[in-house]
Amino acid sequence: MLQRYWFGDVDEQGCRAAGTDPAALAERAAALRTGMESYVPIDWEVARDCGVARTREEYVDLLRAVCITLAREKIAVSYRARDVELLQMVRMLDELDNVINLLSERSAEWYQVTTPSFSRKYRSLPAKKMLDLVRRGARGGLSDVAGDIERLAGTRSRLMREVSARADEVLPNTSALIGGLVAARLLSRAGGLSALARMPGSAIQVLGSERALFSHLRGGTPPPKHGIIFQHRRVHNAPREVRGRVARVLAAKLAIAARLDYYRGEAVPEFIRDAQEKIDGAGVAA
Amino acid sequence: MIRLGNVLVSPGEGGVYGERTLDGYRVWDPYRSKLAALYTLGGGVDLTPDMRVLYLGAANGTTVSHVADYAGTVYAVEFAPRPMQDLLEVARRRKKIVPIMADAGRPEEYAPFMEAVDLIYQDVAQPDQVGIAERNLVFLKPGGHFILMLKTRSVDVRRDPVEVLGEALAGLGRRLDVVDVRWLEPYHHDHAAIVCSRRG
Repeated sequence: MLQRYWFGDVDEQGCRAAGTDPAALAERAAALRTGMESYVPIDWEVARDCGVARTREEYVDLLRAVCITLAREKIAVSYRARDVELLQMVRMLDELDNVINLLSERSAEWYQVTTPSFSRKYRSLPAKKMLDLVRRGARGGLSDVAGDIERLAGTRSRLMREVSARADEVLPNTSALIGGLVAARLLSRAGGLSALARMPGSAIQVLGSERALFSHLRGGTPPPKHGIIFQHRRVHNAPREVRGRVARVLAAKLAIAARLDYYRGEAVPEFIRDAQEKIDGAGVAA
Repeated sequence: MIRLGNVLVSPGEGGVYGERTLDGYRVWDPYRSKLAALYTLGGGVDLTPDMRVLYLGAANGTTVSHVADYAGTVYAVEFAPRPMQDLLEVARRRKKIVPIMADAGRPEEYAPFMEAVDLIYQDVAQPDQVGIAERNLVFLKPGGHFILMLKTRSVDVRRDPVEVLGEALAGLGRRLDVVDVRWLEPYHHDHAAIVCSRRG
């Protein structure tokens, strides 16, 4: 039977070595598919006779070099693909929100000064309409800025879709429960997937409401019922009297979901179904 | 195994994870390492310089470093990237360690690198610990030993640890001879060490 090992192929006829360059060997080894039915462990002396190494020490050294190269590559891939970039994306999204709000506020103030007919009631317009009005009504710099804000808003919505899609990929279980965007915000506030996976449900529940939490802990004020997870519809649409309960149940399930995302990295349909049921059940007024 | 008084130690270069040293030996703390707890409690299989060891669930490489101080070659398998980085750092200073990034439950991933070993040590936080052990027996020499650190809470937190252990023993008994079983109290809770040997 042909055996394909990291240093070459071995069968009854003999051995074909694959060279002694660690990088090339690593590349070859990564592509090997081993069937365990007919597998036989390596006899290092075969490798020696094959010309891979003269001594056992040399053999182990070369094997180590190959394995370390492979491990480095796998580590790099796992960091590239997973939560690290999502963290930056979400933070960029939140910064964009901030900047867009600031600029819109200032544009409205400015426009109001130049246009007496632009009264308070226009301020209650949706931001998009208001900006459109300013861009067409104003001249020069103000009009340019309004146009830029609109473009920025377009960038923001594209980025938001990207964040959502990436969150579905990196946090499949968490995203299934509260949506990609909110899941990504939780990730960002926790500081990474590993940190989020290590949090208890109670911490996830108040993630993002640290000010209220610490003012409560210092004494006096009531505790916060929810932080970032308030942005999820099942929390903010819930009747006031059960909102705390929904938040608590949701957060507890999110803690499990985050762990599944971190340690398993794939969606677990049975868990998601059960969790959704529990969360919906919590929202039914007693 | 080397003991100074009652203290388990290993010979090797210190400073791997901030461990204490005693007369030039590295102290192997039973509260930190389950394998050290097993040796401290008088069990385990003595490690010798001619031994080849497959270590499943190598984590950050703290226990691995002690095993490598005693044994000949240690194949250290770990799956998660973060601990793997630490393990690579440990392996950089210890030429007997072959670090392998792979899933211990999928031996086909690392089979092309493996030779037959005298000892398999398994310490993984997975529900199917017996199944993982069975799939790795292909690497164990006849007469070789298998040490399984059963994390009963990883199998099922809600069940009685004794019951979980009984089931694991029945599973392992199908392919191996169970030589010794002991709980790692007072060093580790709800952990049992199972020492088996492969029929020759």
